[in-house]
Amino acid sequence: MKAKMDWLAGALLTLCATQAIAQDKGCILLKTVAEIEQITTDARGEQSTQLVPVEKIVPGNEVIYTVSATNICDQAAEHVVIDNPVPEHMIYVANSAIGPGTEVTFAIDGGFNFGKPEALKVASPDGSERKAEPADYTNIRWVMRNPLKPGDVAFARFRAVLE
Amino acid sequence: MRLKQLAAAVLGWCVLVGVAQAVGTTAGTSVANQAQVSYVLAGVPGNSTSNTTTFLVAEVLDLNVTLVSSTVTVSAGDTNRTLLFTLTNTGNGTEVFPVALDNLVAGDDFDPLAASTAVYFDTDGSGDLSVADVAYAAGINDPALAPDATVAVLLVNDIPAGLADGLIGRSRLLASAATGTGTPGVSFAGQGAGGTDAVVGANGAQANATGEYQLSEAQVTLSKSATVAGSGSSIAPTPGASITYQIVVNVAGSASATGLILTDAIPAGTTFTAGSLQLNGIALTDAADADVGEFQGGATPSVRVALGDLTQTAGPQTVAFTVTIN
Repeated sequence: MKAKMDWLAGALLTLCATQAIAQDKGCILLKTVAEIEQITTDARGEQSTQLVPVEKIVPGNEVIYTVSATNICDQAAEHVVIDNPVPEHMIYVANSAIGPGTEVTFAIDGGFNFGKPEALKVASPDGSERKAEPADYTNIRWVMRNPLKPGDVAFARFRAVLE
Repeated sequence: MRLKQLAAAVLGWCVLVGVAQAVGTTAGTSVANQAQVSYVLAGVPGNSTSNTTTFLVAEVLDLNVTLVSSTVTVSAGDTNRTLLFTLTNTGNGTEVFPVALDNLVAGDDFDPLAASTAVYFDTDGSGDLSVADVAYAAGINDPALAPDATVAVLLVNDIPAGLADGLIGRSRLLASAATGTGTPGVSFAGQGAGGTDAVVGANGAQANATGEYQLSEAQVTLSKSATVAGSGSSIAPTPGASITYQIVVNVAGSASATGLILTDAIPAGTTFTAGSLQLNGIALTDAADADVGEFQGGATPSVRVALGDLTQTAGPQTVAFTVTIN
């Protein structure tokens, strides 16, 4: 019996190690940045908006998260799905999730079930249901319609407000 | 994220309620984000995670001062009259808020006089100055408030003597964030909670509220007149003639004159006419009984009418009685 247990533990360990290696040597390099919009006025009085890294943020400020996925292998990646939880203390901004060539869905249960906004329903304590609000969203998912070719970069972006 | 997911899964409804908090995420909180990707490459599933972005929430310096007392009715010369305020930290970090009293408020009729110790914390929550209340000393026990925390503050003033009815005097409580004040958005590098920046909030990190004292005085005036009725054609005040005295009591001002008692001695050389005492034309018995009037005999006889509590709106009260000249 003990020998069996050891074998099982060993197998699990191997499995975990394999996964770790897969992450380290994955074929898609995933990067995320958190930025805020900064409005600057030039000498001629014209305003321009720039994205700058978050340095000073207070409740009510909006953060723009940009995720980039680069295929660093020499074969196309299929069924590419990018997942990003709405960070704790942040509220998703309605209609802000975009990604060229992707279909965007959301979850309100921590990432178990994804759906379009109109399909998401929240159960109230009294048993009734209401349409989920952007504040209910816990996760965002971008599903790429086409394979990501070697060297190509896919972008996913969303905005969230600090509670 | 784990907490939020749990809350969403179990009680999605409550997340909305949490969002309604006025203060927002506590200063110094770290907000992290990490994305993940899954894919299939040459038939083999793979996945990877991104770097983690992290930033700290800066501290917002914000506060609210609210007057709790309605206008305090006072009399000239009153001492230790209090106004109750609340001071609330509407920022997102624990902050110290020095407070101050200002009695030079424009637009009022008089300046209240700050008591020797003029600012107290309403420590026992009574809403008024009491023994348990702790005196405020600037720089020594400035209130340090956690986000959303409130402290009740009392301003204690004396009312100058000799002020007329109806006059208004105002007293103001000022409070500001110890870290700094200024134009909203101005920041103090590294001075927020957890080494974050402190940022001046929407109201400039300072606030005030003004309370009001109003004089309420009552002036009681008496006017007495006498009418002589002679016997026959004589109207001279000669022995046997009767004199009817009329005393009109008037109350003016916004206050109520309480427990008014009118007494008038029967003049020497005259005799009170039994049953002649009247109030507003209605007879009062001479005995000390259920009605408000009585005649008191003895060596120095007098009439006595208990008028009770009177206000200006009650109108003039007329007491009358008759005597006969001996």
